[in-house]
Amino acid sequence: MSRRPDNPQSDPSSSDRSSSVVEDWTELRTLLLAPEQTQLDELRDRLDGQVVQARDVGRVLPEAFAVRGDHDEPLSTVLAPYVESGFVTAVRKSPRTIVDAIAPIMGPAIRQAIARALQSMTQSFNRSLDESLSVRSLRWRVDAWRTGRSFAEVVLLHTLRYRVEQVFLIHRETGLLLHHVATDAAVVQDEHVLSGMLTAIQNYARDSFGASQDQTLDQFQVGDWTVWVEQGSQAYLAAVIRGTPPTSLREDFRDVLDHIHAKHTDTLARFKGDAAPFKTTQTQLETCLQAHYETPRPDPLKAWILVGLLLLGAIWLGWTTYQNQTRWSMLLTELKATPGLVVTAAKSTWGAYYLEGLRDPLAKDPSELVAEAGFDPTVVKAVWSPYYALNPELVLVRAETMLHPPDTVKLTMEGDTLVATGSASETWVGETRRFAALIPGVSRYRDEKLLTHSVAELLDRINQTVVRFGPGVSTVGPSEQRVLGIVGVALRSLDEAAAHTGQRVVLEVLGSTDSTGPAARNAQLRKERAETVLASIGQHHIGEHTTVITDIVRSAASNGSQTEVGSRRIVTLRAFLTTAGAENETARP
Amino acid sequence: MIQKKICMLGGFAVGKTSLVRRFVTNVFSDQYRTTIGVTVERKSLVVDDHDVTLMLWDLYGEDEFQRLRESYLRGSSGYIIVMDGTRQSTLDGALALQQTAARTLGPVPFIAIINKADVRAEWEIDDRSINQLRERGWTVLFGSAKLGQGVDELFTLLATQMLKASPPSGVPS
Ligand SMILES: Nc1nc2c(ncn2[C@@H]2O[C@H](COP(=O)(O)OP(=O)(O)O)[C@@H](O)[C@H]2O)c(=O)[nH]1
Ligand SMILES: [Mg+2]
Repeated sequence: MSRRPDNPQSDPSSSDRSSSVVEDWTELRTLLLAPEQTQLDELRDRLDGQVVQARDVGRVLPEAFAVRGDHDEPLSTVLAPYVESGFVTAVRKSPRTIVDAIAPIMGPAIRQAIARALQSMTQSFNRSLDESLSVRSLRWRVDAWRTGRSFAEVVLLHTLRYRVEQVFLIHRETGLLLHHVATDAAVVQDEHVLSGMLTAIQNYARDSFGASQDQTLDQFQVGDWTVWVEQGSQAYLAAVIRGTPPTSLREDFRDVLDHIHAKHTDTLARFKGDAAPFKTTQTQLETCLQAHYETPRPDPLKAWILVGLLLLGAIWLGWTTYQNQTRWSMLLTELKATPGLVVTAAKSTWGAYYLEGLRDPLAKDPSELVAEAGFDPTVVKAVWSPYYALNPELVLVRAETMLHPPDTVKLTMEGDTLVATGSASETWVGETRRFAALIPGVSRYRDEKLLTHSVAELLDRINQTVVRFGPGVSTVGPSEQRVLGIVGVALRSLDEAAAHTGQRVVLEVLGSTDSTGPAARNAQLRKERAETVLASIGQHHIGEHTTVITDIVRSAASNGSQTEVGSRRIVTLRAFLTTAGAENETARP
Repeated sequence: MIQKKICMLGGFAVGKTSLVRRFVTNVFSDQYRTTIGVTVERKSLVVDDHDVTLMLWDLYGEDEFQRLRESYLRGSSGYIIVMDGTRQSTLDGALALQQTAARTLGPVPFIAIINKADVRAEWEIDDRSINQLRERGWTVLFGSAKLGQGVDELFTLLATQMLKASPPSGVPS
């Protein structure tokens, strides 16, 4: 234990003295420290007393806030709920005051919002008017009709396509470019000059209309592009937009601009031309490069047209195929029905046609039938092998082409027998008898009804003919007519015979009268009678190898030997053969 | 890179546009084309190892539109006052313009140039008036946009002064 000499209790004999010492000490302390003591007591009172403290805090509160606020945010965080609830209470208690206070701020903002809404409405209305006459509008009208939407709505839907191509962050006062972002598609000229010009244009517009500093040029249009300007206190955003942007885009710009302002308050305020710090706004600005593309829906109208066309094509194809098929079968029937044609094979594949068969050389040309059926002869490939058809009509044609019968002969087929009737020269009759059975399709030949005549016989028949007339008449009677018919046939045959031998037939028609009546009248009669007889024989019986002489009347009359004949009312015929070209001499013996 | 906005000030047809064109594109045209409103041009140059981009605002020179000019002036780091040596009146206009500029912009650097030095013989502005301007503290240069005289010097000098007036960060003043 340590010894404490100054301890009064250590010496019991001195207890009185020590108590007096304590009193002295207290007195001394009171004497020395009385004023401080009072102050201390006062301080303690102040610290304990609520009223005093509140007054003191109130005195330093503004500075305290200022000091705290400069450094960090906890203060505002702590205060925020109280301010908020305080505000709510205030609004509840006296809304009028609040309204009065914010009206000047809200008024212009609301007015601007309404103006913008109206503007976009008129814009879309104008657009729908513009579009109402275009081809596009027609499509949209169809769209509207199909979807049951209003036309204006459809137009709006279609035009709500846009792309923000460039965004400029521009220092408001100097017009200097702080930062610039652009899409790859954008055509970027000199963004610095553009910033300056944009600023100048805004100044110009504002000055020209005598507008105040906060009335700004918010938007202008250059061709397909719209330039939107979003104003901030230090900087503004200018966005070059292609197409028609929605108004909601402005809110995004606003947010970005506000964000940049909040983040770069100092840098903006102190801006002296160094844009480097604003490189950090890149990502912010890039969020403004929005684009809205219309999803390329398959055009239903186009699909319809396509389906329609396909359908039409199918119908057309079906129709033509059907038509061709019908024509084809009709052609085949036709070919089969044609004498001398035998179809052995027929094929039709995809517009190509193939025919194979037998064809008599004398049959109708099958390509003619093909063309008649309406086919292009080039698409129908046909192979015809020659053959002799045994159809009676073809056999007949064949016989006629091979035998060259004279006009006086008529050929017919009776089954497989060739029959000749009429009259013909001996030569033709003889030759035909030899060859007829050799003609394909002819198995027998008959000519028992065919008159054969020699040249002499024919001449006799003609020369014996005498046509009689009534007195003073030049008309031919019915019996004479019949006789002259035979003469005609004979003349015809004679003509053919002459043709064979290279000679000419000369026919003299000699008219006569009786000796009564005036000579002039008789001469007239003679002439008329000769002509009548010639007419009765018929010009068609006079072949090209025959020469007719009628004007021998006069010379005959002067001839004395003819007197006997000359005194009768008759016409006599005289035919003879002569070598071709010499008939004139022979005609006048 | 530092950008600076510069305004070209001066009366009608003193040669503002010609000076800017000579400086930016190094061409000169005798044809006079009225500048409508304002034209902004850009020219980059290096001053004291700094890349400086000058945005040259060429205002139209109609003197009756003073009010308009103030809004264009705002934000300029410096300006150029152009006078036409052959017209005394352009000097009086220059004085008024300088006052407007100083009022709007405060004490920013500016340089005055008396243009059309190539026709010195026709000058109306005499040495006495020029000296008076210099006594006011003006930097007065002579130049010719036509010949390209004094043009680069004009802009380089102003750029230097502007950099001095507000040095870019990281450079001791
Ligand atoms: N001789 C001469 N003429 C000039 C010169 N600079 C400009 N000009 C002419 O002065 C006229 C006005 O020039 P301009 O640059 O358009 O003047 P601004 O109205 O101030 O822009 C034009 O006809 C120019 O050709 C120069 O240095 N010398
Ligand atoms: Mg000009």
